Amino acid sequence: MGALIAANDLVKAFPASRSLRDMMRGQRPVLRAVNGVSLEVAAGRALGIVGESGCGKTTTARLLLRLEEATSGSVLFEGQNVSALRGAALLPFRSRVQLVFQNPFDALNPRFTIRRSLAEPLRNFGVPPDQQEARIREAMGRVRLDPPEAYLDRHPHELSGGQLQRVVLARALVTHPRAIIADEPVSMLDVSVRAGVLNVLRRARDELQLAAIYISHDLALIRYVCEAVAVMYLGRIVESGPTAEVIAAPAHPYTRALVAAVPVPRVDQDRGDLPIRGGLPDQLNQPSGCAFRDRCPLAFARCAEEAPPLRAIAPGRHAACHLA
Amino acid sequence: MPGASAVARRPVLPGFVRATLGFLRRQPFAVAGLAIYLLFIVTAIFADQIATHDPREILFRGAYRVARYLPPSTTHYLGTTAGGRDVFSQLVHGSRSALQVGVTAAFFVVVIGTLLGLLSGYLGGWVDRVIMRIADIILGLPFLPFVLVISALTRPGTTTLVASVALMLWPNTARVIRSQVLSLRERGWVEAARVTGCSTWRIIFVHIAPQVAPLAALYGSIAVGWAILTEASASFLGFGDPAAISWGLMLQDAFANQALSRGVWSWFVPPGLCIVALVLAGFLVSRGSEKLLFPKLGD
Amino acid sequence: MDALLDVRDLAVHYRTAAGPVRAVDGASFTVPAAGIVGLVGESGCGKSTLGRALMGVLPRAASIAAGSAVFEGRDLVTLAPAERRKLLWRRLAFVPQTAMNALDPVQRLSAQMQEVLVERGGLSRAAAGTRAAALFAMVGLEAGRLRDWPHQFSGGMRQRASIALALALNPALLIADEPVTALDVIVQRQILDVMRDLQARLGLAMILVTHDVAVVAYACDRVVVMYAGRVVESGPVRAVLEAPLHPYTMGLMNAFPDLERAGGELVPIEGAPPSLLNPPGGCRFAARCPFAEARCAQDPALVEHAPDHQVACWRAPEAPALRPLASEAATWAR
Repeated sequence: MGALIAANDLVKAFPASRSLRDMMRGQRPVLRAVNGVSLEVAAGRALGIVGESGCGKTTTARLLLRLEEATSGSVLFEGQNVSALRGAALLPFRSRVQLVFQNPFDALNPRFTIRRSLAEPLRNFGVPPDQQEARIREAMGRVRLDPPEAYLDRHPHELSGGQLQRVVLARALVTHPRAIIADEPVSMLDVSVRAGVLNVLRRARDELQLAAIYISHDLALIRYVCEAVAVMYLGRIVESGPTAEVIAAPAHPYTRALVAAVPVPRVDQDRGDLPIRGGLPDQLNQPSGCAFRDRCPLAFARCAEEAPPLRAIAPGRHAACHLA
Repeated sequence: MPGASAVARRPVLPGFVRATLGFLRRQPFAVAGLAIYLLFIVTAIFADQIATHDPREILFRGAYRVARYLPPSTTHYLGTTAGGRDVFSQLVHGSRSALQVGVTAAFFVVVIGTLLGLLSGYLGGWVDRVIMRIADIILGLPFLPFVLVISALTRPGTTTLVASVALMLWPNTARVIRSQVLSLRERGWVEAARVTGCSTWRIIFVHIAPQVAPLAALYGSIAVGWAILTEASASFLGFGDPAAISWGLMLQDAFANQALSRGVWSWFVPPGLCIVALVLAGFLVSRGSEKLLFPKLGD
Repeated sequence: MDALLDVRDLAVHYRTAAGPVRAVDGASFTVPAAGIVGLVGESGCGKSTLGRALMGVLPRAASIAAGSAVFEGRDLVTLAPAERRKLLWRRLAFVPQTAMNALDPVQRLSAQMQEVLVERGGLSRAAAGTRAAALFAMVGLEAGRLRDWPHQFSGGMRQRASIALALALNPALLIADEPVTALDVIVQRQILDVMRDLQARLGLAMILVTHDVAVVAYACDRVVVMYAGRVVESGPVRAVLEAPLHPYTMGLMNAFPDLERAGGELVPIEGAPPSLLNPPGGCRFAARCPFAEARCAQDPALVEHAPDHQVACWRAPEAPALRPLASEAATWAR
């Protein structure tokens, strides 16, 4: 099955602040938040992008949504390159690819009623007013906010976090999208309501055959909602493959550390030392060769000389490590 | 969904009216400010009925003796001027020009300042740079001298005054609105508006503008005070509309006739007090509106 | 059991225009002299307020309305503020959620260490310097970094520094409010390892306030589960997490995505916690509880159901039968 949405060698470079020395040398350092990311998701499938803060996963999502312009590379939607679309030409793409926000308390206009928040996208995408109410009710049903009348005339501050996040998802679904991107969809929610929101997300994806991309730092959550996962480190994908396989047998040393660090609600669990050293390096002064080598317990001479490319290591699995 | 029952129990729409009433009880200063405004507005509307004389009419005492410097009495509540005009009637009619200048100037300050602040903050880039550099230049100009120069170069009058006050005061509003917009554009729901296909103009005027409206209103009520003070100052210094009746002109008239050294308190104290009261009312209301118009949404 | 801290029926109220909000409403638990106690619950359950009340760092609008908190034989609730201040740092120390709140952004870390060690601890400047270096080593930071400013540290390093600062005067009890919530998993694990290691080496007691059952499972020896201002279950981590007695604890365990558990639906706890302005009578969890009965309209007391394992639920004796039901989504869906 072909990809519904795909990223092709996306790069996003931000100008970094210059030190006095840089200025004297006439240098203008750039920070590559995303450094050559390629991925694809088919309809009805879900891909998780996992990594620590600063790894570029949120920037990747924003590039895919065309909320930010890529420095190079392209975004393909239904086989069409959408990177060059501007203004009104971008509208069809916008109606087809929607975003679920991290912070439900900030994702809805506080002065709009829920109904108006849901009607706004429909208006923007030219849905006739007499069809809007039906679409709104359909979306509210999909996120299990029953009956819709209990919510539609309220303002965001009258709803709880879990209800708000369902409304945010309803706003994304109301445009009948083909793909949905969820950036840490439950990290701001209380533990007891997270499961409800994740279930609703998963069900919507199955019923509507959406292509879904989840951005999260939480591997356990990715495991629950995504069949495939891509692990990012310093702007690059270092490992990808079916989630269960990657977690069961990580090929990249960074993934191994990440899996080992995830806390599980079990009393008997491995409390050994993490197979990783130090903290994230300064993005502007990354080591030569493999970006992970100064934290890697397995690093050897070759890691300093050449950066390992992301290559296939088994059917459906890729890793960027000389040892994989 | 069991959450629904919890929601349904809450009363539907707390009622803006009830919230306002509760606010008024808690904000005596704002109430005082509003009361002062109301008093002056009523006075201005019914000036013809309230005034005991024509404010421009030169009054005579007996045959051909101008009724100058009459002390306060039941006929002339605040006495008469050196020109034999009724002070009370001038005071009452003066409220018209004061409010007229204050409100129109504040209107333009708010409209220009908000519009440019919105564009500058949301669009950024060269639009932002151009608008903010112009604002910097205007903020660098001395306020009153500049107004006086404009008045001197053009036909002195209310229009000139209002225009120059608006021209001089919009940068303050624009800067504050801009900084508010800069933080608002980072909010999730503004991003959501982009993702759900809103045009830039719709984001600015439908989503963001209502959020900055309270701030604009705040700066508007401050501008009312500034405009009235400016009008009074300009009139006092002789740059006002000579044909108008205003508190500033009354003060100038009194000053020119040495009312102070003659001790004619009833002539120059009332207009001074009126200016202070109206400017004060503007500040009281703006302090109060801060709390009324920034409800804690999402609390 | 010889308790270092014995909290009895503690109530903390926030004054609001609408009346008192009972953020903590009769919480009871004990903290043994050594070990890490996890204080776990959802936002608004009163766990942070409780931690802050014990430290005497409540916000202005909040005050302790009732109960006692006996720490080393003295009741923190009735202790005069001056006496209580003497205890801070020396016997009781605090690590706030964001390390930036514990660290002064305009002072080098060495100066902040010196201030605590010299002004409060009465050490000489030289001794304080040695001690500061030792403290930094203890939390895994190089002594050379004492010369740095807080902004030069990463999030994890700041949290290490604020733990070092809290431990400066050898307190008997360390209260940490969500110390790893804002951190990435790898850093989170490293900080939890530091805390476990320090607890074992120094033999002190810690209260770790968190919303994350997994953090409790990894780092804590005992756990206190709070719901709507009350303690609903407490005991050793193994007993409570492996055989929870309270339906809320069962729900919390099942609501978490588990890296090691494949497939299946997550089980949400439907509904939301009650308002603490006018909390309902009886069991506070009854409105969301799939096992609620008529008698749940009466308040269940926190009683010792198994050795050292307290629970406030009428149906605790049936817990073994309820547990398998609680792991099915259909039970909770209504």
